[in-house]
Amino acid sequence: MKETWRLIDMRIEDAPTQMAIDEAIAMARLKENTPNTVRLYRWNPSAVSIGYFQGIEKEVNLPACEKYGVDVIRRITGGGAVYHDYNGEITYSIVAPEADPKMPADILESYEWICGAIVNGLAELGVDAEFKPVNDIVAGGKKISGNAQTRRHGVVLQHGTVLVDSDIRRMFQVLRVSDAKISDKLIKSVEDRVTNLRRYLGRKVGFDEARAALIKGFEDTFSVALEPGELSDAEMRLVKRLHEKYSSREWVFQR
Amino acid sequence: MKRAEYKVPGGKLLAAELGVEEGRLVGVKITGDFFMHPETAINDLEKALCDILVEDLENNVNRFFQVNSVTLFGVDAGDFVKVVRLALES
Repeated sequence: MKETWRLIDMRIEDAPTQMAIDEAIAMARLKENTPNTVRLYRWNPSAVSIGYFQGIEKEVNLPACEKYGVDVIRRITGGGAVYHDYNGEITYSIVAPEADPKMPADILESYEWICGAIVNGLAELGVDAEFKPVNDIVAGGKKISGNAQTRRHGVVLQHGTVLVDSDIRRMFQVLRVSDAKISDKLIKSVEDRVTNLRRYLGRKVGFDEARAALIKGFEDTFSVALEPGELSDAEMRLVKRLHEKYSSREWVFQR
Repeated sequence: MKRAEYKVPGGKLLAAELGVEEGRLVGVKITGDFFMHPETAINDLEKALCDILVEDLENNVNRFFQVNSVTLFGVDAGDFVKVVRLALES
């Protein structure tokens, strides 16, 4: 019989709540009182998340976010800025101990293993995607998913974005991309760097269809059955506490 | 305040912001889309680079990564030296 992991399925929450849930599951998992967990979720309102080390003013067009009602949040994970479009993006997260027999000890290998689940999920939809180290997944040479991992006290948390039908124009209205960042890439504009399922496949892909494909990708790649579950009371208490951190100016504007 | 950005070829973006007072680095702030495990080590690195003589930069960066157990992706120790130097030249 297949090992079972918990699935927290397509919760729609605001940015501080989503980031609080990811961290809360990782903290609870540390105490071994929660199962390995995969989450799929959407952000409402749409939000920009920036990497732990990024300078907010440098990466985010704050007046544009204000104008379009887009939230801004800092993640606990490194990496780059992501536009989480409520109408066009699915975020996933996975929490499992470093010591899990399936989890590669090497961080880069674990990126590849987890991103493999996304690649396989995308293949279900007919997308020929590949993992591009360190933390990207590309389709037709363009980024369709970005991923970020942290390891704390023996627990791995990785989250990432899957662009379903993200508004790429809006993405680059709310994100600032420095000239230096694309200086080593032979592209005309930042918009040429990214794609989404609708652009790649030339047809609309609904959230239900994308969700089902991603679930199959996780189950096949991890050799597990995902069983829908809810957050425990202990996790909910942590979410409440962490929500305060993630909504605070001290956290979001620390760099 | 001096500032510079450095895109590691095939890697991540680093930026440094700093001041210089009497030949010493002050207020060093490093940002970017790199990965550092554990993440909180960035604060220790910034502290380790404050109030040091400009010419001791490379030694201090190297010592920091020798003494502390820090894993980097998308950048390496030398890239931190490079971006700080670029900021100094700005």
